[in-house]
Amino acid sequence: MAQTKKACIVGGGTSVFGVRAASIFDMLQEAANAMSKDIPGLKPKDIDGLIFASTTAGRNSNSLNTAPIVAHRLGIKPTSICVRVDTLCSGSNTAIILATGLVESGISEVVLVTGTEKLNLPQRWESTFMNLYTNDHDWDSAMGLAVPPPFFGMIAQAHMKKYGTTKEQMGAVAVANYAYGFNNPMAQFSGKTLSLGDYMAARTVCDPFGLNDCCPVTDGASAVIIASEERAKAMTKRPLIYIRGTGQTASHGMSAGWPGETLADWPHLKKAGEIAYKAAQLTPKDIDVAQTHDCFTISEIIEVEELGFCKKGEGGAFVASGQIKVDGQTPTNTDGGLLTVGHPYGATGARQAIEICKQLQGRALHQVKDAKFGLTHNLSGVCAQHTVVIYGTEPVK
Amino acid sequence: MAELKTTQIVGNPHLEGKYIAEMDMWPLEDPALNRLYPFYDNMKQSRWTTTKCKKCGYISYPPGVACPNCWSDELEWIDLPRTAKVVGMTETLAGAPTGFDSPLIIAWLGFDKAHPLKHLLVRIINCQAGQLKIGDEVKFVTFEVPAHPMDVKKESKTCERVYYAFEPIKK
Repeated sequence: MAQTKKACIVGGGTSVFGVRAASIFDMLQEAANAMSKDIPGLKPKDIDGLIFASTTAGRNSNSLNTAPIVAHRLGIKPTSICVRVDTLCSGSNTAIILATGLVESGISEVVLVTGTEKLNLPQRWESTFMNLYTNDHDWDSAMGLAVPPPFFGMIAQAHMKKYGTTKEQMGAVAVANYAYGFNNPMAQFSGKTLSLGDYMAARTVCDPFGLNDCCPVTDGASAVIIASEERAKAMTKRPLIYIRGTGQTASHGMSAGWPGETLADWPHLKKAGEIAYKAAQLTPKDIDVAQTHDCFTISEIIEVEELGFCKKGEGGAFVASGQIKVDGQTPTNTDGGLLTVGHPYGATGARQAIEICKQLQGRALHQVKDAKFGLTHNLSGVCAQHTVVIYGTEPVK
Repeated sequence: MAELKTTQIVGNPHLEGKYIAEMDMWPLEDPALNRLYPFYDNMKQSRWTTTKCKKCGYISYPPGVACPNCWSDELEWIDLPRTAKVVGMTETLAGAPTGFDSPLIIAWLGFDKAHPLKHLLVRIINCQAGQLKIGDEVKFVTFEVPAHPMDVKKESKTCERVYYAFEPIKK
């Protein structure tokens, strides 16, 4: 089908992220409520498509085939699409790619992308145990690979060895993102400050990570509207924000298929970025603000390299020299990122999209001056999949 | 008067002592449950094996029933060399997932050029915390994991299982 329409992000909202006394359906309704305040006048009947992102809904919340239940709880009666996507940490960013395709092709007009996870279970052991089921179960998980810190710890060791990245440089990511998240009322670590001294003194999680190198275990939900240009215009008085390009790569589900020479090299992210930049008719230099997947401090360092904001191997120096701060070259994770907002897998991509939407509309908490182009990125699994979406105040010509 | 029901339905099979495959952290290895059972049967003989495509020669890991390179289903089982070098490693001293003892040692292995695999993430067992170093040589080792019950017509069968890890090569 030929592309006939342009897709826009209209706005969105999130629940409070954190250790929540709430179910996934409670939090999805909270996110819908927040979204309705962000897009005044938006009603459930305006929406013809629903793409729901959650990986753990079937397990942690005992809810398989969840999309029709979500539609019911949110008062939506989809006529073009009603589906759940399960791509772990990139769930709602994947859903945004799908929604874009459906809107551009004319199949859908107004799509609600909403994502959630309930990761804090009644007992802590089960939150850890559940993670065994998010990797290749029979091959990697049976080795004890559950929660991500050990794997990303080895990634950090490899980057430190190959490129000379230091603990202080990783600390620069944590300090910057805590500063961004401090006044984000929806963040799990809202109101928390972090100095480099605090960071260096934090208790060890696994070598070389301390507590502040790792994103927390988070419950939360988010919701955004992806609509055709015509419908978006009718829905909001704010500047239209267009989805210009997307890319998603999946190179391996299991560790034996790792695509890089070392764990410090992520060619599959580089590829996802290149595909998205080409579609968006932009280069890394054009990106005014980015939301990258800072599940760990080292992740953000490798991402700024592979996404082309700096040279490969220079990510540590790039972040430590302040280039990710609001007045730097590429302000990154300006709402606090995964490190402080938290990371309920399926909710994260849409949460990032909301921040980029606000930045490009000139209404972000930490506003980047004259931001025209923004990028979101997620990784998922054992760094197996990379998802990139590029937004702009103008569509691709 | 009808007899009082003495069975308490608790709605949680675990509390009734039932095995739940959905909560099992090990593979279901019985030939009735998968087509890769030769991998597990070979492992019971301490062999580490995988499938090689007879059409294109591609060796995949994990093994499969069709080649990921050409989708042919003409595959043969081959033995993999059983030693590797530790390229990266991490020790979880506390808070390992239920079913895994602490320290849980996970290593990123590198294989020599002749080996069909380039990298692999594995668990290291028979090793104390602080013992393993980057550059150390390790070798394939198998161990028993809990058996599980399976319905076979009106009977229940016990499915014995094994799994593998790597261990330090004694110097």
